[in-house]
Amino acid sequence: MVNAFDLVWLIAALPFLSFVVSVTVGRWLPKEGALPGIAATAGSLALSLWAFLTVRSSGAHYENELYTWIDAGGFELTFGVLVDPLSSMMLVLVSLVAFLVHVFSMGYMNDDELHREKGGFPRYYAGLGLFSASMLAFVFSSNLLMAFMFFELVGLCSWILIGFWFREEAPPSAAKKAFLVTRFGDYFFLVGVVGILVTFGTSGFADGGFPQIASHFLETGEGADHIWVPGDLDTQTWFSILGLLVLGGVIGKSAQFPLHTWLPDAMEGPTPVSALIHAATMVAAGVYLVARMFGFYAGLPTVLAIIAFIGGFTALFAASMGVVKDDIKQVLAYSTISQYGYMMLALGVGGYVAASFHLLNHAFFKALLFLGAGAVIVATHHHQDMWKLGGLKREMPVTYYTFLAGSLALAGIVPFSGFWSKDEVLYDALLIGLEQPLFLAAYAMGLLAVFLTGFYTFRMVFLTFHGEPRSEHAEHPEPLRWNTKGPLAVLGVLATVTGLLNMKPVAELIGNHDILYLENWLDSGTAANGGEWMGSLTYHHYGHLVHEVAGLHEGSPPPSAELAPIVFGAISLSLALGGALLAKSIYDVPEPERMTDRLGPVGRVVQRNYYLDEFQVWLATGVTEPVARASNTFDQGIIDGAVNATSSVSLFSGERVRRIQSGAVTNYVLVIVMSLIVFVVAVGIVGGWFL
Amino acid sequence: MALDTLGGEDWFLHLAPALVMIATALALFGVDALDPDSTNHRAVFGVTLAGTLAALGSAIALLFGMGPELGTTLFSDQLVADEASLLFTLIVTSVTSLVVLGSYDYLEDLPDKGEFYSLLLLAATGMVLMAHANSLATVFVALELASLPSYALVSFLTDNRGSVEGGLKYFLIGALSSAVFVYGISLVYAATGSLLLSDVGTAVTEGVDQTGVLGLGVLLMVAGFGFKIASVPFHFWAPDAYEGAPAPISGFVSSASKAAGFLIAFRVFTTAFPLGAMQDAGIDWVFVFGVLAVLTMLLGNLAAATQDEVKRMLAYSSIAHAGYVLIALAALKSGGAHNDWVLAGGMLHLFVYGFMNTGAFLFVALAEHWDVGRTFEDYAGLGEEAPVASAAVTVLLFSLAGLPVGGGFWSKFMLFGGAIQNGFWWFAAIGLAASALSLFYYWRLIRALWIDQPTDGGHELDGTPTGLYVAVLVAALVTVGLLVGVGPVAEVAFDAAGNLVG
Repeated sequence: MVNAFDLVWLIAALPFLSFVVSVTVGRWLPKEGALPGIAATAGSLALSLWAFLTVRSSGAHYENELYTWIDAGGFELTFGVLVDPLSSMMLVLVSLVAFLVHVFSMGYMNDDELHREKGGFPRYYAGLGLFSASMLAFVFSSNLLMAFMFFELVGLCSWILIGFWFREEAPPSAAKKAFLVTRFGDYFFLVGVVGILVTFGTSGFADGGFPQIASHFLETGEGADHIWVPGDLDTQTWFSILGLLVLGGVIGKSAQFPLHTWLPDAMEGPTPVSALIHAATMVAAGVYLVARMFGFYAGLPTVLAIIAFIGGFTALFAASMGVVKDDIKQVLAYSTISQYGYMMLALGVGGYVAASFHLLNHAFFKALLFLGAGAVIVATHHHQDMWKLGGLKREMPVTYYTFLAGSLALAGIVPFSGFWSKDEVLYDALLIGLEQPLFLAAYAMGLLAVFLTGFYTFRMVFLTFHGEPRSEHAEHPEPLRWNTKGPLAVLGVLATVTGLLNMKPVAELIGNHDILYLENWLDSGTAANGGEWMGSLTYHHYGHLVHEVAGLHEGSPPPSAELAPIVFGAISLSLALGGALLAKSIYDVPEPERMTDRLGPVGRVVQRNYYLDEFQVWLATGVTEPVARASNTFDQGIIDGAVNATSSVSLFSGERVRRIQSGAVTNYVLVIVMSLIVFVVAVGIVGGWFL
Repeated sequence: MALDTLGGEDWFLHLAPALVMIATALALFGVDALDPDSTNHRAVFGVTLAGTLAALGSAIALLFGMGPELGTTLFSDQLVADEASLLFTLIVTSVTSLVVLGSYDYLEDLPDKGEFYSLLLLAATGMVLMAHANSLATVFVALELASLPSYALVSFLTDNRGSVEGGLKYFLIGALSSAVFVYGISLVYAATGSLLLSDVGTAVTEGVDQTGVLGLGVLLMVAGFGFKIASVPFHFWAPDAYEGAPAPISGFVSSASKAAGFLIAFRVFTTAFPLGAMQDAGIDWVFVFGVLAVLTMLLGNLAAATQDEVKRMLAYSSIAHAGYVLIALAALKSGGAHNDWVLAGGMLHLFVYGFMNTGAFLFVALAEHWDVGRTFEDYAGLGEEAPVASAAVTVLLFSLAGLPVGGGFWSKFMLFGGAIQNGFWWFAAIGLAASALSLFYYWRLIRALWIDQPTDGGHELDGTPTGLYVAVLVAALVTVGLLVGVGPVAEVAFDAAGNLVG
């Protein structure tokens, strides 16, 4: 019988096949590549579900050596698969979102007149296929090196798709920026991969891999002979350096401060691509990577604190910029950065389940919001400035209600999905923060961001859908077909209900932990029916590491343990509602006004994104360029000078060599015989034959 | 005595690739006798290609363990069948297949096609036997069997001065070298009393009275090998012969013949002249090979850098590559822990080189077929007119230089890495510097293909030389494929090297 685990590779191979089909024969197909893409991602979804169910029934699957790329004796570089609760969940999520995005793209690209004029659909669907394939392969990667390769492919695909309309001015530049900024982070990642391979001799994720070796050493001090440490460096310090190097790639891809600047620009790509990038692929890859190798991070308190702090800060910082944007996609872009900040915060405080939970919920509601925004954009003939929209509620009910569901989830209003996960993130941060003030600061920033999130989310909803239409396009939007509405409806339902998977406050209140389905799922390291034991990948194990090895203990919250989740849930809910109500009072009026001008200089700073782009440009032109110029002078003058000197010497002596080859056989024979005699005499004298 | 008892168990299976090629060559003689003008080129070509592919297939099958167990000797220890012999049989048969494929278009307007193919097959048979040779007698016979048809093949273009002259020089120097080589063998026999490699080895280990005789014999044999592998200063025939020969033959002689020459050098020097005993006796052949390696790397690359003609540049580049592979012998150390690594690096490089170099020469054959011209300037603009072939040769050239676009990267990596591990870092340093220099002249061709503008408005490329195209592409694909799939080949090379240096 065929086992689901034997077919895991097909999950990535199918979209790759659709990429090949679109590239080669796409232009002759009826929908120019959309149909193979849809079929492939549907196949991936089915296989992912099968793998998920198989993990449920018979435990995880780990095979690190499906293909050995290089066997260098000391260590091997291999490709393999790791299907455990985390990756099987992620596979389902990614393939589902990819499938819906493919379907939606038919409505967004193929049915739209302007997009038809611009053309290039086979290239578009090829990009989508390769993007999905790389991400899916990244998700089931069994070791860090393989993950790195597909991580890079994901980056490449985002470059292809963000710059899809390359004949216009902005998209190529945005694509380049996304590529360069994430590449900057990936340099550190690459160094980290090499470092981990050298240190542990393996980059495997699962049992026997580097997270387990590292945490075992940190916990017991055993196995030091198998760990390479440069010089006299303290082993834990070295691990922290490695962790931070890998984190560089994560910060770039997951658009965390200070490498978040590429993401808002990336809105130049087609909107379904934005949905894919933000919900399930590129940006999610960073956070997923931390979760994947969480066993490594969990024992390193310094790195955890940095992750938590970056996360909390990014959550607040990005939310503040989302407040002042006028473009609907820009608002969503900053909200993405902010939400991934929450996930990082959760991981930094050991909230592995909370982070995965928020990753899951966010994927659905953010895909929904982007596709909703895409629907608005095609319906109103490419208007995305919210001040030119308004009043769309009546004409586009399906879009409105699904978008509303996504917004409620994003803002964190009970009972929509975002509430439950964001609340769990904050509660986990609070528990650690009660013992460690630094984490409390991160928690406070996250909490404050809740208010801003509520505000900007509903500012967006009210400006887009409520009030009176503020332009003629908004007055008569184009009707949409099933292929746009269908994905919206599916995601709308999901955004509403996925929160029920892990209702922590309710579970604490009624004292029944069985309803924490996600937590139990991510904790199921035991193999049910002969599958492999994955004890080192469980939530339990991670919690143990965070508390005992990294020394981050949970404090006890002021009210009793049963009530505390409810109390703090209520606090964040009221903040979110407060933000939403403030937005309602300002923007849900017939003639809303621009408030940003009234904010004065502060508003300007925020509107210019805290001048971070300018700062990075200055870094490039003001610092890097002079340094580069100086090294160029050095290179041209001294290095090249030396090389040129060598090559002219070479060419000169080459001329000489050429002259030996005179063409006359007698000369050849003479030289050969003479050399032979020289050899015999020389070796004979040295070897003492003539004595 | 029946062949069965004489040959040893399953001898015909062990020697299947050689037997298939001999049979094909004989069949060609038959066809040629009936149809002396080779009017039916297609049939002759088909038979030859089928024969070489069958030989290639049987070599692969044997390597995958589908035949009898390896590591036995045949015909009273005269021949040996092990991983090394199979690996080099694989090199020779794949190069021969590529060359046959490329020759179809090349020979189109030439007479005596049947002779060409049968000579090619006989030379290849000689090379395969070289890979199996286990005694100095069979070494010599196999070497001659490989060489004599090669002389004829190099001068095959009887109307072309360069070809005839190159062939004659090749023959004259070859005759001299054979004489030197066989004299060396006789001296070794005089000193040790045996021709069997393992017996010579035992005698040397036990101690030889006439050290001077043995030493002179060894050095004369070095000269013989130096001729076969075109190492400086025994290389003089090579540029003239490679340049004058029909381009597919240049590829054949510079890849397959060189690989076979190297294998017997590996085998003879590791088995018959064990390093420790020889150094104790004052016959330090490692030192000699070190000098040859450095000379060959430097002179080969320097000369290649100053050439104006593409084919001659490739001829010198082929000499330079012999220099890299010589490191495999020069970096051996008595009791060294990484001897197998070094030797495996050399074998791997010969394997990859077989494809890279044959492909490059076949591209020159393609250019000759189109009458493009000989110099770098003549090749200008070909990139646009023949993009596929140009892309393929670009990959091949970069891989020859050792850039990580093909298997050439891994083989140089292993060679230099092994040399460093064995404590001979200077070989690696010189090899790296030489490789950097080689990039300069490979780049000249690549620049001509893709960047330079043709001087006289481009070439008129007529005809579709499918065979040449396929051969160049296959060579490029295998080279690139070896970047990813080098593992299995490297494993075989390690096994083969491990058997030799134990």
